[in-house]
Amino acid sequence: MTHSPTTPPMNADVIIVGCGPSGMAAAVELATAGCSVLVMDMQPAPGGQIFRNLEANTRGRNPGSKSVLAALGPSYRAGVALIERFRACKGIDYRSQTTVWEVRPDGTVGWLRGMEAGYVRAPCVLLAHGAMERPAPFPGWTLPGVMTAGAVQTLLKAGNLKPSGNIVLAGTGPLLLLLATQLCHLGVKPALIGRTDNFSHSLKAMRHLRGGGLSPVIKGVGWLARLKAKGVRTVSGLTHLAAEGARKVEAVSFAAGGRRERLPCDLLIVHDGIVPAIDIPNGAGLALQWDQTNASWRPHTTTDGLATPALPPELEPDHCAIRITGDARRIGGADAAMAHGRLAAQAILAEQGKGSGITPQHRKAVRKALSVRPFLDTAFPPGLSASLPDDATIVCRCEELSAGTLRAKIHAGFNNMDALRGETRCGMGPCQGRNCMVSAARLIMEAHNTSGPVPPTFRGRPPIRPLPLGALASLTGLDPRATELLTLEDKPEHDQEDKAHDPAE
Amino acid sequence: MFSSLSPITHGVTLYLDGQPLAANRGESVAACLLRAGVAYNRLTPVSGTPRLPYCMIGHCFDCLVEIDGVGNQQACLTIVHDGMQVRRQNGAASAVEDPTP
Ligand code: FES
Repeated sequence: MTHSPTTPPMNADVIIVGCGPSGMAAAVELATAGCSVLVMDMQPAPGGQIFRNLEANTRGRNPGSKSVLAALGPSYRAGVALIERFRACKGIDYRSQTTVWEVRPDGTVGWLRGMEAGYVRAPCVLLAHGAMERPAPFPGWTLPGVMTAGAVQTLLKAGNLKPSGNIVLAGTGPLLLLLATQLCHLGVKPALIGRTDNFSHSLKAMRHLRGGGLSPVIKGVGWLARLKAKGVRTVSGLTHLAAEGARKVEAVSFAAGGRRERLPCDLLIVHDGIVPAIDIPNGAGLALQWDQTNASWRPHTTTDGLATPALPPELEPDHCAIRITGDARRIGGADAAMAHGRLAAQAILAEQGKGSGITPQHRKAVRKALSVRPFLDTAFPPGLSASLPDDATIVCRCEELSAGTLRAKIHAGFNNMDALRGETRCGMGPCQGRNCMVSAARLIMEAHNTSGPVPPTFRGRPPIRPLPLGALASLTGLDPRATELLTLEDKPEHDQEDKAHDPAE
Repeated sequence: MFSSLSPITHGVTLYLDGQPLAANRGESVAACLLRAGVAYNRLTPVSGTPRLPYCMIGHCFDCLVEIDGVGNQQACLTIVHDGMQVRRQNGAASAVEDPTP
């Protein structure tokens, strides 16, 4: 195929970033309809975080696999069929262990695998990069021996490792309770589960119970019963969590029920719910909105996942090639992610004149899977991150900046995100603000004494992940239309909160 | 902090600061370091305090190590291979690639 030097070739009909439930479901739908699909995945095998290493575990390649499968239960095994279909699909070019360091609204994607890097293009890019655990700074959260619940689950699924010693779980959300029951199944009994949520949250949440939403509740009650039967101590309404120790966590302290307590601890597992990962959308200059109930950003999208560039009109591309699906769009879990992945795929197919079109069934499946969210959001509100950290607590893990340092700089006039970043390096470390951005934004809002509509973000700049110089030097697929490089200067303010819980969406 | 669910049978050998370490095929460098029970994988550039992996999914960058001579590699995203040379980082990674075996 020949092409003029000013229009770079397309590498596929669709590029999908991420290979969890939504990315796989969309890829299968698209490839079945005859599209060529390029899937960029950071992980070594398809499945995303929820079905992480499922293929290898079901093949029993690892002697620990049997106990892992038994402990993780049916919700883990549920991914087997989808992964098999994904693998069997011709037309899917799956690229494992590939990180994405840039996405542009025109459909250009910068990738890195080992020391190789390049750009690829497609008329449509579907972001299915998933969620992250909500950053929750508290005293001692940088100590060795403090890990997130997701991290411990990853070690179970893909590391053949189970925690040992004095284990304390603290935080909120279904994942925390699920992990505790999985640990018990493996014969590991936590010393304590400290829940930041309390009885009044559960009571309020009952109002949101609808027929379809009952099964997660039944599951949750089952977990709690099992933990009780195992004699695991649980407290609720936990506050003032701190990890103590010199070079690693040695003890954990907290308050609950009006009492302060201190426990010896080797591993503190924390979890404060999950939020959409906005690194790629923010880096691509896409509009974000603030979801007040979940205290998190999410990309501004249509119901079919079409994203909105937040660029000034003169820089706006004629057509935004990016759609967003799954937990990266809004938190809904694996079922909602698969349902929306299929819906987004049909929207893409319709655009390209293929496929059977979006049916009411597609929309109904998304609605149904999301219908339990109001219950879960009310029952498990953000806890560990509910109040802003005290001055001594580190906010930026990379540059080791405390809340006190940031407060002083904000007070001294560095009171917008990019000024604060330039002055303190907060958000400039290797994690590029993934862990500190929301705290920095809230500290600025605290200083302005507003509970304003949308917390500000750092302006995202590619590369959003470190790109080794050697890889940069040998970039392939360079875009000759260098003039089309968009600048994100003067990015307008993000949209205001919308109806975060409108299940009709 | 962690113990193996089952013994390593058909593993690979990598080297941590020159010492051999057995690992399961297909697992991440971070999982391998946690099994070995190391006290840290890096000391921070600012205050020299120890860090271990925190998120295990590529978000926090606390798991940075030097792998086969290249610094600042995310141990949680890198799969082990036979003969891999892993070095813990003390402070910032050096900009010059040091290919010492
Ligand atoms: S442990 Fe967080 S990035 Fe590797």
